[in-house]
Amino acid sequence: MNKTKIVDHLFRHQYGKMVAILTRIFGLSNLELVEDAVQDTFIKAVEQWKINMPENPEAWLTKAAKNRAIDLLRKIKADESRHLNVTTPIAAIAMNNLFLDNEIEDSQLRMIFTACHPVLNPKDQIAFALKTVAGFSLKEIAAALLLKDETVKKRLSRARKTIKDQSISFAIPDQKNAAERIDKVHEVLYLIFNEGFHSTKTSLLIQKELCGEAIRLISLILKRESLRTGEGYALFALFCLHSSRLETKLLDDGTLVDLKNQDRSIWHKPLINLGNNALQEAMKYKGLSSFHFEAAIAAEHTNAETFESTDWRRILKFHQLLHDKHPTDYSIMNQAIVLIQLDKPEEAKKLLDGIQPEALEKRAYLYYGILAEYYIKMEQKENAINALLTSFNKVTNLAEKKYIENKIALLSQ
Amino acid sequence: MKDFMLIFLGTNYFDMGLSPEELQNKLNSWFEWQQKMEEEGVVKGGHALKPEVRHITGKKRTVTDMASAELKEVVGGYYIVSARDLEHASEIAQGYPDYDIGGTCEVREIMVYNQ
Repeated sequence: MNKTKIVDHLFRHQYGKMVAILTRIFGLSNLELVEDAVQDTFIKAVEQWKINMPENPEAWLTKAAKNRAIDLLRKIKADESRHLNVTTPIAAIAMNNLFLDNEIEDSQLRMIFTACHPVLNPKDQIAFALKTVAGFSLKEIAAALLLKDETVKKRLSRARKTIKDQSISFAIPDQKNAAERIDKVHEVLYLIFNEGFHSTKTSLLIQKELCGEAIRLISLILKRESLRTGEGYALFALFCLHSSRLETKLLDDGTLVDLKNQDRSIWHKPLINLGNNALQEAMKYKGLSSFHFEAAIAAEHTNAETFESTDWRRILKFHQLLHDKHPTDYSIMNQAIVLIQLDKPEEAKKLLDGIQPEALEKRAYLYYGILAEYYIKMEQKENAINALLTSFNKVTNLAEKKYIENKIALLSQ
Repeated sequence: MKDFMLIFLGTNYFDMGLSPEELQNKLNSWFEWQQKMEEEGVVKGGHALKPEVRHITGKKRTVTDMASAELKEVVGGYYIVSARDLEHASEIAQGYPDYDIGGTCEVREIMVYNQ
């Protein structure tokens, strides 16, 4: 009996590949049929492999997918009375070609561009991308995005309907439309990554999966010369640099650790190197995007040996540039944090005074957390505790609540 | 040592809404079990069965074709293991990975006629 070890996430990644290839053959209008067929293939694989593992699982799956395609072709032909829309009756040879590596990547890129198509509702884009490109199940998407199963179901079917109604073509955009469409892809990948990196409600496992998928998808984009941009490299850099400290940020028991107290010795060096290199690559292109500045800030942190040796001046400059590019209350708050580190609490306070915390809605607790830092710097303990209490009352997330609680306890000693 | 048949009953992975990742995890548990049995040198062979089922029953030998998904309990596969006694074989059967999704593992000693 064979002991071939299955590579991590083989099934999930194969799922995305197979769905993309079969969609290329049968068209987006048959997407549901395709997804069911691929799911079927995996179940068959498990049923068979559980006792007799094939020599080469990946080749087995590819072969199964090909057979599936032929089955489907027959089925669709038989159902022609139901007016299923087969875009092209592809001959066996042409179909075989679609299973070659570069063609698989091509199909996957088409799927990414479909998922990130501007006519789709932004909320639906992420769910749809996770399903069709990354092979997440409904339940897994619900867990990752903190949504109800029902909501995910609705979003997925709305996305499918829009794709059908608007007859979106399963294609990589041409030169003329490429720039705008790539921006949209970057935006969706950025959101997927943030769902992973900034969410503290989900498990570390789910966080890693989401961050990993975002990295994998941006890599696919960057592999294609015509789709390479400075923004793309900057985004890849940002993902790598952030991911390098994911495991020190959230501990297994759900404890949140701030940047100052993270164990820098276990930050993942290979990812930091990848990030640094990608950032250099990003600088070779014309123009600087907000991703460039975000990546540059992340690099300052990951490249600092200790928290104390962080180059806060440079970070402040990047935050200001980021704000010029894309002004938000968050970047103002980030500047305030840096000014406090730079022993300029009065300037920080000025910035904070310009913000209406109510306008931040669910993130208002962050504002009060920073305000507390200001008071701590000014040695106004009581004010600091009061600000932390306000923050505590506004935050809903348990890990963050615990973090604030610990801070209050320390101050009250 | 005697031979025992471990018969897997009742589960098929269709209609369970398992994700590709979950399916792969399921598969990994099967491999782990198999590996454990091989290390202990107890496993002698086994097969998985395809889900298509043909039933032939009655004097008239009535033939019914069905998919295993339509059946409540269906044999999905078996292992033949070598064990000291039923207790030992049942111990081996603890590793069967589908208890959590309603699967049953039936342990039966293979009859041997001496001489």
